Amino acid sequence: MATLRVEHLNKTFPAIERGSDATTAIDDLSFEIGGHVFVSVVGPSGCGKSTLLNIVSGIETATHGSVSVSEDGSPARLGYVFQEPRLLPWRTVMQNMLYVLEGEDVPDRARDYLRMVGLDDAGGKFPAQLSGGMQQRVGIARAFAVEPDLLLMDEPFSHLDAITARSLREQLQGIWTEAKKTVLFVTHDIAEAVQLSNRVLILAPGGRLFADLPIELPYPRKASDTEVAMAQAELLRRFEEMQEETDAARATDVAS
Amino acid sequence: MSSVPVARASRGGRPPSLVTRRRVRGIAGLVIGVGGFLLVWTLLSALIFGPFTLPPPSRIGSVMWEIVRSGQFIHHFVPTILRLAYGFGLALLIGFPVGYLMGTSRWWRAFFHDMTIVAGSIPGITYAVLALVVFGIKILGPILSVGLVSMPYVAINVAEGLDSVDHRLVQMSDAYGRRRASIVRNVLIPSVAPFAFAGVRLSFALAWKVEQLTEVFGSSSGVGFQIRHEFEDFSIPGMLAWVLLFVIFMILVERFVLAKLERYLFRWRLEDRP
Amino acid sequence: MSQATTVAPASPIAGVGRLLRSPLTARIASYLFLLVAWQLLSLYEDRFPPPADVFGFLWIEVTGGSHGGIVRGEFLEHFAATLPRFTLGIAISMVLGIVSGVVIGGSKIAEALLKDTLLMLVALPAIIWAFLTQMWLGLGDTAVVITTFLSAFPFVAVNVVQGIQAVPRDLRRMSGAFHVSSYRRVRHLLLPAVTGYLFAGFRFAVIIGWNAVLLGEWFSSSEGVGYQARYWYDANRYKGFVAWVILFIGFIVLIDRVALVPLQRRAFRWRDTQVKQAQRRVEGIDVAVTGA
Repeated sequence: MATLRVEHLNKTFPAIERGSDATTAIDDLSFEIGGHVFVSVVGPSGCGKSTLLNIVSGIETATHGSVSVSEDGSPARLGYVFQEPRLLPWRTVMQNMLYVLEGEDVPDRARDYLRMVGLDDAGGKFPAQLSGGMQQRVGIARAFAVEPDLLLMDEPFSHLDAITARSLREQLQGIWTEAKKTVLFVTHDIAEAVQLSNRVLILAPGGRLFADLPIELPYPRKASDTEVAMAQAELLRRFEEMQEETDAARATDVAS
Repeated sequence: MSSVPVARASRGGRPPSLVTRRRVRGIAGLVIGVGGFLLVWTLLSALIFGPFTLPPPSRIGSVMWEIVRSGQFIHHFVPTILRLAYGFGLALLIGFPVGYLMGTSRWWRAFFHDMTIVAGSIPGITYAVLALVVFGIKILGPILSVGLVSMPYVAINVAEGLDSVDHRLVQMSDAYGRRRASIVRNVLIPSVAPFAFAGVRLSFALAWKVEQLTEVFGSSSGVGFQIRHEFEDFSIPGMLAWVLLFVIFMILVERFVLAKLERYLFRWRLEDRP
Repeated sequence: MSQATTVAPASPIAGVGRLLRSPLTARIASYLFLLVAWQLLSLYEDRFPPPADVFGFLWIEVTGGSHGGIVRGEFLEHFAATLPRFTLGIAISMVLGIVSGVVIGGSKIAEALLKDTLLMLVALPAIIWAFLTQMWLGLGDTAVVITTFLSAFPFVAVNVVQGIQAVPRDLRRMSGAFHVSSYRRVRHLLLPAVTGYLFAGFRFAVIIGWNAVLLGEWFSSSEGVGYQARYWYDANRYKGFVAWVILFIGFIVLIDRVALVPLQRRAFRWRDTQVKQAQRRVEGIDVAVTGA
């Protein structure tokens, strides 16, 4: 388990055409997470959630500020679950697992994690032979199999049908409890955030941190639990607050 | 009551599977098609042209058999096929780097653009006669004409393949800290391979004709040389026999070897979801 | 290209750099490269004439030389012999190709019986027709015309068959359900589907027919472009030979790029956008350089 420290992070994309403004995706964002926690980042679309994950994973670079992931001083290992499965279509499920793994006992490890997502007999199949939900499960197994210090998940269930997504959310809680990983989970679905995480960061448009809320409920949680529903209502209230605040700010902007 | 299942079984058991039925239909189609071909030919030979101008299939068949039996077939096919193989090797060797440059750089794409586009409309005879002048009657002529004909197709398709690389897979590989060599092997090459193969298949149909034409113009062995030889002997049956042997051989290679190989190499594209 | 003209260079050096990196420079560089390669080849292999000799010869063939100023080059005379043969061969192959394509594409029985014959004809190399017609008919126009026709015809027929079979079955069924008249069915369903394939077939016929007419003239004629190339080859005058090869390549490339490719692209413009976009990507440099 690692510590992720984000300090005064800023990411600005340059103007695409001349005359248009540069867009700020993340603005002065600071937070720290560590230990066996499941942290969700929620916010409206375009508030820089995915950009945050890309900067943490090193796919993109920050404009200002810093991001550090450390595991007792040594560089941390990362796992990443994307919106789409992102499997290599020309490799079997097993080969896809082995592609990202290094070290000894690698095939055994791959098999263990496939078993964890219930796909122990799919190792010899090509991704095209699996359903969308199964492919996403392979993506999850792959991320856990690298035994990451920090696991990044970018709306991993948003492309799946509601029933498959619901069952995968329940499975994910089990896997996370068992594997004891630090998870940073990005979503625009408040119900999903409440059901899965024990801490929720709300980002406002423009990538500013609006609220940092703990959710202290025992696992496993079901979407239909009363406590989960109540926490959801509380979170929604904060969201509306944020909405009003943004609208008011925009109104004064227009007025001036 | 126990007689019912027995009676049912004796009526032919399970209905034939879809695969078997398709295979039976394929064979039947081939028989009818080949039968149709021989029928048209026989009719043309008997009714319009006469047996001297257009010998009937039976006559050509016996000449073909004679060519195969006497070992002439092997003797002239081996050099022809080898030249074809060397030519394709050359096309791949140069076509791949050129395609890589075209796929990754705007400047190089513009550099090779006219050459590759024009190559598609150059008549085959050009390669044959130029090879004759530049290299004379040497083994190099046919090899180079095969290489020159196929290279643009390989290059264009490799460039297209590079365009088609899914950058999200490259991103995924970066996120998991894969090294460049590993990304090339596991992401780039498999993305480009189907395109490159399509290029090879496309150019193959053209390349063997041009190769054979080059042999007609200047070579001392090979199928094209034999065709020229029979032409100079005024032997229509001999000429047709050599051509048909070669055409049938190439159609078999295209249909069975190349098509099967493609299906095997790219079997991951078959979508049989449960 | 458009960038290089609209964006004013910040400094002369940056401007030069941008000019060197422009696609137009790349094109010019590619022609220079070919010229240099040709020159080097002629140094290495003395049978192969250097570009200057060949272009000098070409100039005389086309203009008739500097004296007199009256156009009397061999060029016109031999193209005038070849073009009627070529046109006639293509015309016959179009007519018979369309007829047999419609028959094979329209009837299941005809397809079963004749499709493999057609594919066999597609696979036969043009040289066979050149040899056969010479043996059948001796030297002369007829042999050349028939070689052209026999080589090009199967490609037209195959494309027409494909076009007819490409009319989607559910559209045919839809037309049946709405009781569309047969005139409208041909006008709005069959013709648009077949036209693109017909143009593709026409383009193939022209390219393949041109190769065939040259082969035919090489072996069984005493005038024409193909004969002229052979004449200089037999005379061991390789600069004349290469000049004529350049003439016959130039002719077909010009026809193909100026007329056939745009026609075919226009006829196929309804096809799925993906193919079109891919094509545009390949052709993108054209647009960039000509500024169209």
